[in-house]
Amino acid sequence: MRKSLLPLLALASPVWADDPALPQYVEETGHGLATPYQGEWQYMVGGGAAVFDCDADARPDVFIAGGEGPAGLYRNVSEPAGPLRFAPVEGLSETAVTGAYPLDIDSDGLTDLAVLRVGENHLMRGLGDCRFENANAAWGFDGGDAWSTAFAATWEAGQDWPTLAVGNYIDRKEEAFPWGSCTDNWLHRPEGRGFAPPLPLTPSFCALSMVFSDWSNSGSRDLRVSNDREYYKGGQEQLWHMEAAPRLWSDKEGWKRLRIWGMGIAARDLDADGFNEFFLTSMADNKLQVLNPPAGKTLPQYADQAFKRGATAHRPFTGGDLRPSTAWHAQFEDVNNDGRADLFVVKGNVHAMPDFAQKDPNNLMLQRADGTFVEAAEVSGALSFANGRGGAVADFNADGKLDLLVVNRWEPPQVWRNSTQDPGGFVTVTLRQAGTNRDAIGAWVEVRTEGGLQRREITVGGGHMSGQLLPWHFGIGAAEMAEVRVIWPDGSASDWVQAQPGTAVLLER
Amino acid sequence: MARTPAFPSRRSFLQGGLAGVALTALPLPASATARRAEQVLGQWYQLLLELIRHTATYSPPVAARSFAYLGVTAFEALATGNPALRSLSGQVRDLAPLPAREAAPHDEACVLQGALTHAMAAYFGNTGPTGQRAMQAMEKRLSTVAMEGVGQDVAARSVAHGLAVSQAILDWSAGDGGAVIENMGFPMSYALTEGPAHWVPTSTVAVQQAPLLPTWGQNRTFAIPETGPCGLPPPLAYSEDPASDFYAQAKEVYDTSKALTDEQKLIARFWSDDPMLSPTPPGHWVSILLQIFDRDGTPVDRQAELLALLGMTISDAFVQCWRSKFEHDLLRPVTYIRRVIDPKWEPLLNTPPFPEYPSGHSTQSAAAATVLEGLLGQDFAFDDATHADEGLPTRHFDGFWQAAEEAALSRMYGGIHFRAANENGLAQGKCVAAHVLELKTRA
Repeated sequence: MRKSLLPLLALASPVWADDPALPQYVEETGHGLATPYQGEWQYMVGGGAAVFDCDADARPDVFIAGGEGPAGLYRNVSEPAGPLRFAPVEGLSETAVTGAYPLDIDSDGLTDLAVLRVGENHLMRGLGDCRFENANAAWGFDGGDAWSTAFAATWEAGQDWPTLAVGNYIDRKEEAFPWGSCTDNWLHRPEGRGFAPPLPLTPSFCALSMVFSDWSNSGSRDLRVSNDREYYKGGQEQLWHMEAAPRLWSDKEGWKRLRIWGMGIAARDLDADGFNEFFLTSMADNKLQVLNPPAGKTLPQYADQAFKRGATAHRPFTGGDLRPSTAWHAQFEDVNNDGRADLFVVKGNVHAMPDFAQKDPNNLMLQRADGTFVEAAEVSGALSFANGRGGAVADFNADGKLDLLVVNRWEPPQVWRNSTQDPGGFVTVTLRQAGTNRDAIGAWVEVRTEGGLQRREITVGGGHMSGQLLPWHFGIGAAEMAEVRVIWPDGSASDWVQAQPGTAVLLER
Repeated sequence: MARTPAFPSRRSFLQGGLAGVALTALPLPASATARRAEQVLGQWYQLLLELIRHTATYSPPVAARSFAYLGVTAFEALATGNPALRSLSGQVRDLAPLPAREAAPHDEACVLQGALTHAMAAYFGNTGPTGQRAMQAMEKRLSTVAMEGVGQDVAARSVAHGLAVSQAILDWSAGDGGAVIENMGFPMSYALTEGPAHWVPTSTVAVQQAPLLPTWGQNRTFAIPETGPCGLPPPLAYSEDPASDFYAQAKEVYDTSKALTDEQKLIARFWSDDPMLSPTPPGHWVSILLQIFDRDGTPVDRQAELLALLGMTISDAFVQCWRSKFEHDLLRPVTYIRRVIDPKWEPLLNTPPFPEYPSGHSTQSAAAATVLEGLLGQDFAFDDATHADEGLPTRHFDGFWQAAEEAALSRMYGGIHFRAANENGLAQGKCVAAHVLELKTRA
């Protein structure tokens, strides 16, 4: 019998003919940011970063989880278009922090911070100038006592106070048989200007990422939960109907069982068809889910296109370690401003797992015009073999080019400045609502140019224990003009607004 | 961070194992000794089932191999001090005589504790941080159990002997061809066999674009000959002609999938036994045996004997099955059905990433059932709650063969095997078991 050679390495390979414009990165680690994510077993997961403007200077500041060590809050002191520089800020140096998400809970115009911990979770009310106070008591928030490893927030219809979902991990008191000991996730719903006692989201399966998303483009935001199959029994990925009594989407409703080492979620409507694609990080495999229901129906059924589109990121693309990868934070952003969302994935061995790569580089996958991805971390200068966990893609120096931040286990965070010469154009969009839900969480922003339509859902959640609340960035390529509109969380749409390249658009009502 | 060594040194093991234990030289009642030994064996095996599930290299063939060596370790550790037991040395391939005991008192619970602590650390040196932590907790817990009321000198001597037996078996195992697993068992490069009849990848998982463990069939076996009588006739001749037998068997899988009852779906899931999500098919049969021990209060020497024989059986079954799989290299139903019958067809279960013929679950289930029938009887009824934690109900079987036949049929319900793979797999398993049943474990 003859044999034919199988094309095994369907990695996103750095072949550059007809490929997207290559961004250039310069590593500028060490200029301020110094918080490693430390700790033993209870800190093998987590290690997130919150990126938001805590001092109203229009530059993204950073809060970094420190695990057993102190967390760190850093003021961004970078000059416009200059090197990335940060300065530590006193306060928020508590320990046992696994991650954090920024949001304006009380809609007072000052961003607050949901701090997830091993132990009691804290809601830190923003006071301005990067000062915070613990608001658990004032807001009736029961921080519990668990190993919290995921977070998401939404404003449910008719509510002037957010609903928070907290994902929890293993019962940390279990030693010999921790498997099957996943503890309950919690839903903190509003009660007046505060929170009711948390509602257990049973069954819970060791969530490592969650996000409220209008996945069906129906105006209804359900809770998508990615779970770590290492520890659950009888578990799977989950989608909760957000009803008065939350209930799971069932197989009878079309939900298709998927069991992975779920670690992170990135969501983006990559093809502007009205439905989010979801990238789910895992070990030795990652999923790029595209909605694929039977004709004429909108059911939560997805086809995995990671392999087909070169986005598996399943093993290191360089460095000589060919063992399978371990992927954590994931985020879609347009790093070369060509009008197509690219994909940043943070990697790192759980700890001394010899069957998985120890030298496991982060991925920066650029999206081609045909929807496939090409690996560019090394050729763009953003290569790292540190043991990554959380991260962020954000414009730290206000030059219209997205920079990179990675939180590492036992090592300081790394940052890379986007130094691309003459990239495509961009616009940023800030949403502002009077009254409640000031930042319009749950809205969709649309940007259109002659290059096509882009859509992104505004969410709090996802990634791996890492969130951000910033002006939303859109690359527009060579377009000389863009049009922008918002579909507000209640479904009403704004008019289209014209924006020239480099414009910061404010849409408010 | 301090790392757990894959192979703890004998010195550190003895020091750690004896720390804090109340010491006495008084002889213990035999029943108390037996209970301690049963606890040691039973709880290590419960952890073993978990580690099989949670260690990335543990696909079903690899799991079967470790079940075999761990069972043989427990059996030989006891056999060195029990004249009623007959060592497997000289019976199974390449196993030299095991270390003899010192001419002084030993405690069987401590012997087992020494052997299994060392063996678990060895075979699961690559498990993750949670597994390492669990093994450390189990070592501490069971050392206290094993050494309760045992004199320090007896405990130390016994633990050391168990360790020595385990080390000898570990050394033996290192040369069987299955000790090193890379890339979770998937080769980094692989040449597909050309032609429409042959296996092609069925998964969108990147590492599964090559088949699992294509050389596993070359591994040394325990009881069956290197080139033996358990091969299979070729599968049906490939054809896309709707009048052909091959088309008919594919149509049977397709039609069955379209008319599955809830009970058939339950059977498919009950025997699905996916790696990384369950203790795997070999672990399912070990789980059945552990449940029987718990129900019947089986003596510890009998437990070790049965675990050793079952482990070798399923390990040999997988080696033989893999020989056949890569000899015939048949495509999976999902490939054929989408190509010829219905391009949008989805089987109930995930299709395993390796050739179809014969069914591995069928082969190893028939081998396990045949051996257990030979050792425990034909009409040996039992309840199987292996997947209770997963929410699947307990199933009752009137005998082992009934369970094996259901396991084979489940692969048809799951849409991952043709009938011939299941039926011929059962026959192959019987053949393997016959060789294991020739081994003598009693003097």
